[in-house]
Amino acid sequence: MSVTVLETENLSHVYSKGTTSQVHAIRDISLKIEKGELVGIIGHTGSGKSTLIQHFNGLLKGSSGTVLLDGKDIWSDKKNIRNVRFRVGICFQYPEYQLFEETVYKDIAYGPKNMKLSDEETDKRVRQVLSFVGLDESYLEKSPFDLSGGEKRRVAIAGVMAMEPEVLILDEPCAGLDPKGRETVLSLITSYREKTGSTVLVVSHSMEDISKIASKVLVMNNSQLAYYDTVDGVFTHSSELYDMGLNVPQLTRLFLKLREKGYDVPTDVYTLEKAGSELLRLLGKGDIR
Amino acid sequence: MISDITIGQYYKENSLVHRLDARNKIILTVLMIAMIFSCKNFISMGIVALVVFLSVLLSKVPVKMFLKSLKPIIPVILFTAIINMFYVKGGQEWSFWIIKITEKGIYTAVFMAVRIILLIISSSILTYTTVPTMLTDAIERLLSPLKIFKISVHSWAMMMTLALRFIPTLIEEIERITNAQKARGADFENGNLIDRIKSLVPVLVPLFVSSFKRAYDLAFAMSCRCYTGGEGRTRMKQMKFTLKDVISLLFFSASFAVIILINKQFGALI
Amino acid sequence: MSSYIEFENVSFSYRDEEEGTVNNVIKDLSLKIDKGDFVCVLGHNGCGKSTTAKLCNAILIPDSGRVLIDGIDTKDEDKLYDIRRKVGMVFQNPDNQIVATIVEDDVAFGPENLGIDPKEIRARVDEALKQVEMYEFRTFEPHKLSGGQKQRVAIAGIIAMKPECIVLDEPTAMLDPRGRREVMKTVKMLNEEFGITVVFITHYMDEAVKADRVIVMDEGKIILDGAPREVFTHIEKLRSVGLDVPEATELASLLNRHGVNIRKDILDIDELLDCIVSLTEDKN
Repeated sequence: MSVTVLETENLSHVYSKGTTSQVHAIRDISLKIEKGELVGIIGHTGSGKSTLIQHFNGLLKGSSGTVLLDGKDIWSDKKNIRNVRFRVGICFQYPEYQLFEETVYKDIAYGPKNMKLSDEETDKRVRQVLSFVGLDESYLEKSPFDLSGGEKRRVAIAGVMAMEPEVLILDEPCAGLDPKGRETVLSLITSYREKTGSTVLVVSHSMEDISKIASKVLVMNNSQLAYYDTVDGVFTHSSELYDMGLNVPQLTRLFLKLREKGYDVPTDVYTLEKAGSELLRLLGKGDIR
Repeated sequence: MISDITIGQYYKENSLVHRLDARNKIILTVLMIAMIFSCKNFISMGIVALVVFLSVLLSKVPVKMFLKSLKPIIPVILFTAIINMFYVKGGQEWSFWIIKITEKGIYTAVFMAVRIILLIISSSILTYTTVPTMLTDAIERLLSPLKIFKISVHSWAMMMTLALRFIPTLIEEIERITNAQKARGADFENGNLIDRIKSLVPVLVPLFVSSFKRAYDLAFAMSCRCYTGGEGRTRMKQMKFTLKDVISLLFFSASFAVIILINKQFGALI
Repeated sequence: MSSYIEFENVSFSYRDEEEGTVNNVIKDLSLKIDKGDFVCVLGHNGCGKSTTAKLCNAILIPDSGRVLIDGIDTKDEDKLYDIRRKVGMVFQNPDNQIVATIVEDDVAFGPENLGIDPKEIRARVDEALKQVEMYEFRTFEPHKLSGGQKQRVAIAGIIAMKPECIVLDEPTAMLDPRGRREVMKTVKMLNEEFGITVVFITHYMDEAVKADRVIVMDEGKIILDGAPREVFTHIEKLRSVGLDVPEATELASLLNRHGVNIRKDILDIDELLDCIVSLTEDKN
């Protein structure tokens, strides 16, 4: 049975309220995130996806509506909002710009130290998350500023993982990385979820990346929740996604165009294997063995 | 939202004052300040106040904007006024308990307060009606004769422009880093002074690291665009003295002359 | 036709004096780029592609060998600004290359440095902004623009200097899909309509597909060089250096392996679509 870990009810956020330049950053969002799920959040720049995630850990407070963590309003006890941040960890875009300590060890330990964990527990966690992000212990005493771009990114992600949040949110974790770096980061996210069973939310504007890892997809458009469904379910709306300025995988676009031309093909295709077998069927060549 | 930030306190409007040459506006402001300081009695001060008031009207900037810029100065005005009230002797005297106030003291206090208010308003007119880059540009051009003393006015003005350009970028950056550290449990609100200073380290270190990177990138980009300093540069936007500049300058000079005359005629209050 | 950019056995290394290490980034690289070409340079991070870009306009000077721009050796210090005038450069982070607080002032920065007559600068700035479709934003402050818009302002700032060649060092790496499309469209137009030679450095395959020629680099060397159609058929080789292959190419190759009579050098889905349509029509 699925258990809801994070929930919003009619959540809205308005900037410059009451003035003529009043803007709805997010509007009337109601959603439920189930425990252990890997949810992709997609939307173009300015769609409200970044604003939305900042409500999940109380960095922003909605103008109206509520955010419930394990069924409890996160703002019910204002003084404890910092604890919410330990339970819902956000790793922002370009997280390498948050590194500040002299050593990788100290930087990863920053979160656990703020949680007032014991030295032993901190030490255990630092070593554990370092292995999660695929770096060995020789990195611990290095200066984070001497690492390569991809390594810095992984250390920064480890810094958030070390708090062992129930919900881990990653904002554009692959931004600016080359294909190899993107693949590394995506696979470390999936293996982290498998190993810890935590709930993970990944924000991206790449449908391609999301479709590889997520079980469900949440689509934001014009400050509103456009779709929230399984990957397959969302992909049945591929042409609408394209109109929202999102990058629909090339393969999906191919099948959309085939459908337009009157071919009997599905439109929720986004992996090479599925595309291959569908086309082989269409061309009467049997299936991939 | 962060993208709403406007640097400086430029007030967008298309008034006569806005259209004056920026160099002229700087000269006029200097003249105005000189006038304010040379006033020796209430009559001359009244005339200066009239000139300031006229400029405010012509600038089309709402009066409440000027009140806003005066607000933070109120303590200074009060302090100066009170000091003058107690320490200036002369004329009729009133005393309560241990305090002694003189007639001349009151006059001086009021006079000083008016003087500060006029100073603030006249410099505000300059900043409300001139875009910051135009201002640095104008200063560069006005001070360019200093070149003969080997003072690099251009580099100074360039630095000012770059600072203005990067302030919004850095504010955005600070907000981003602060949020990232808050998400890792940073506490900027609680604790004693030392704790609070310590809590800034996780923000300042990344800020400096990225600022150095930006400076390095920017220097590359500028040299790729053939920047070699002020030598041999031309400017797209030329500044031109027009008839309205000449008229305004003449008007201010005339007012200055009148003030000097009045000072002579009616004598000094202080 | 004589080549516009020419690398002759170029080597370059970064030295870290403190640690005493030498990092050989470019190794004996020879390369010729013709005038008016649109060349994409591909490679994973650290393969030497950015260094190659910086060697093109004398930000870096080769340790050995030489780089010629339109026949001028980049070592020639007297010609430094002639080279930079000919070869404009656009960098990754749009924020770090915009100098002025107003869009049009920034575009004017380059021409002003060249000492051009004010009236001419005005004309060039307006033209450049129109070309990148940013004219209506000319009085905006840069921090109020999107990433793609800022990058187009940076491009306008370069074309206002009337260069013969533009080198773009991962100009789309920090942009969202929409911004990436805008920048690519702009650069493509400059190449096609104004004959500006373009060297476009990226790690996005869908951008490389649009070039006339693709150069793939790995460890300071060129490992593949040719038309995109030819280069992308080397699926395994590209994979081995950490690069992707356009999905259309990969799918065509997969179909081919399963006995479908389809070309392997397909670049985009429109081509693939046409092939599939004609195949099904043949079948019927």
